[in-house]
Amino acid sequence: MQLASKHAANAGVRQALAAAAAGLLASGHAKAQEAPDPPPSTIVDSAVLVYHEVNRVQAIEPEVNVSQKISEDSTLNLGIVADSLTGPTPLGAVPSTFPQTYVRPYKVIPLGTPVTVTTASGGSTVVIVPPPTGAKSQTLAASTIVPPNTYPLDHGFYDRRVAGHLGWEQAITSNFKIDGGIAYSKEHDYRSESANLGISQDFNGHNTTLSAAVNYESDLSFPIGGTPTPLTIMNGNWKGPDTTLHEIDALVGVTQVMNRRWLATLSYSFADDHGYENDPYKIISIVDPISGQPVEQLYENRPTFRRKQSIFLDNKVHLTSDVVSLSLRAYKDDWGIKSLTADLRYRWQIDKQFYVEPHLRYYTQGAADFFRYYLVSGVALPQYASADTRLAKFHAQTYGVKFGMPFSENTELNLRVEYYDQQGNGSPAGAIGQLQQQNLFPDLKAYTLLLGYTFAF
Amino acid sequence: MVSGHHDHSTHFTAMASPCVVLVDTDHEVLAAEVGEIAKSEALRIEEKFSRYRPSVVTHINDTAGTMVEVDEETADLLDYATQCHTLSGGLIDITSGALRRAWNFSGQGTLPTQAQVQSVLEFVGWARIFWERPRLRLQPGMEIDLGGIGKEYAVDRAVDLAKAHSATPVLVNFGGDLRVSGPRQTGSPWWVAIEDVDRAGAAAGLLELSTGALATSGDTHRYVRDRNVRYGHVLNPNTGWPIAGAPRSVTVHAATCSEAGLLAKLALLRGSGAEAFLKSEQVRAWCVR
Repeated sequence: MQLASKHAANAGVRQALAAAAAGLLASGHAKAQEAPDPPPSTIVDSAVLVYHEVNRVQAIEPEVNVSQKISEDSTLNLGIVADSLTGPTPLGAVPSTFPQTYVRPYKVIPLGTPVTVTTASGGSTVVIVPPPTGAKSQTLAASTIVPPNTYPLDHGFYDRRVAGHLGWEQAITSNFKIDGGIAYSKEHDYRSESANLGISQDFNGHNTTLSAAVNYESDLSFPIGGTPTPLTIMNGNWKGPDTTLHEIDALVGVTQVMNRRWLATLSYSFADDHGYENDPYKIISIVDPISGQPVEQLYENRPTFRRKQSIFLDNKVHLTSDVVSLSLRAYKDDWGIKSLTADLRYRWQIDKQFYVEPHLRYYTQGAADFFRYYLVSGVALPQYASADTRLAKFHAQTYGVKFGMPFSENTELNLRVEYYDQQGNGSPAGAIGQLQQQNLFPDLKAYTLLLGYTFAF
Repeated sequence: MVSGHHDHSTHFTAMASPCVVLVDTDHEVLAAEVGEIAKSEALRIEEKFSRYRPSVVTHINDTAGTMVEVDEETADLLDYATQCHTLSGGLIDITSGALRRAWNFSGQGTLPTQAQVQSVLEFVGWARIFWERPRLRLQPGMEIDLGGIGKEYAVDRAVDLAKAHSATPVLVNFGGDLRVSGPRQTGSPWWVAIEDVDRAGAAAGLLELSTGALATSGDTHRYVRDRNVRYGHVLNPNTGWPIAGAPRSVTVHAATCSEAGLLAKLALLRGSGAEAFLKSEQVRAWCVR
């Protein structure tokens, strides 16, 4: 018996042993896998954003980002985003008990092009702005009639934007990395180019990371119909040449593994702008000092420089399988704007294949020094004035939830739904005449839907 | 152990061996988690199959002679032990621990007499026990020892659990029995030093490991020296005596640590025929004599 089994043992026992070992391990709680696939070298992030402000603009924005491993310590990133923004947007003017008419240029066409005047959607009429002598093109403008007691919106608003960025990340040593990139964005009346450079250094066995980055941006603005002269009366005439804006900003930050479950990041950033800061399409009303009726509309004016600073603190805490993220940002600039953002997310990992992440964000902002709801006729014009409500005092809350289905480490389908509610003071103290019964800062509500798909190969 | 500069390591002691778990990642939190998972699994298996502390095995050994019902995992290991026993022609036998009563492998001491060995042999032999899953009954005086297959099993289980938790490359090394989840993040292999059998702490060679496991069997640390003859601690369960002409150590590379460990033991049990056995089975292995 012993001899026979010894023979059996001699004859090719390896296969049987391998099978026995495999059998033992396969019945275990963890699934024994074949050698895993090598880590993917290409990761693609794609998403479509649908954004809708109630009674205002809406946008659809598809986006693709590709991250490609070039060598064992360098990665190339390429991203493209296109968006199409349509819908009415505030002009900056105040409502009136009388109907008002606004003319807003929206397209430049060659001289001599036959134009059929139709009623544009949204209640605007197309008018032709006579070109200056010798010009080869003329401007089509949208003329909007705003009914009484209605907050004036610009219905000629549409924009298509394409933007791309290219980035490079290189690990010099296992603790020191550099990265750089360029970006480009184009709309039909605006172009932006930028370049950035960053470094990061790890300490304490990757428990601490210090990083620093600089970014330089150069923008060119060529509004339809030309650049208006600030604080002059709004008209349909041909306006001034293209303008530029340059920005340089720097960031330093530290990321620290606080303990096994808690990762924190603290960063400080600083930016300096020089150049054309105005929104060429925004106006500010001059109102009668007694009745409060708008008398004239002026193009706004903002300083040609802006210095911004912000401090950002982000925390990620890993509970058993869920993750809590809490971040705070404090911002101020030399336009007098101060703001605070608090953002809370809770990623509830329901099982390996599904998570739900509710999201709460609170934002509060103080007004810029030169923000005015309106100017008063007869009072000397200030040097800077803007009625753009984005520079006013307001609060906003975002409520959202994200659903995610990770199929593997690098593949995920997700859907984010968010509701944004912004409230400002529509009845400022000291409002004159008819303005007391008008809402000078209508609430803004917006819905966002973001569908994303990430995959790797 | 030679490792790359990205690795996070978790060190601990289990199964009477120094253990280390290397995780190739920059994410500290993830690396600590994976290390913890492997460590917990090693300690769990050590505790569950310990021969000294109250455990499944001590319960079986203390109640030898009575019928015992075992859990799924223990049953799997006993089935595996049965297969090993058959495939090795009886040379691998988890009841052979009783032979310890005649031998003392502390490095010095005397050989037992034939009579002493003979009397102990009565309590050895997997063929003598009753095993019908899930029920086991040993003969009185017999004992089982899963130490011979437990460490490699723990390495395999730890790697499987680590892989289930994350795709980050990991190397689990429990006292020289080790396995990798795959190549390192960059695709390059792990570097493993093979310890010199005569100089502890010195490397006799350097291996590149991209997949699979390594297990080493041998007498590097446990032996009896008598009249300048070194008797290794691997005993033939049929005779009760150490295998003659066995290599000082055999290191085998296979897909899993369990398989590697088995092949290493089988080679060692072949004594002077160790190399021939490994060659005929086409096993990637290294013998030191």
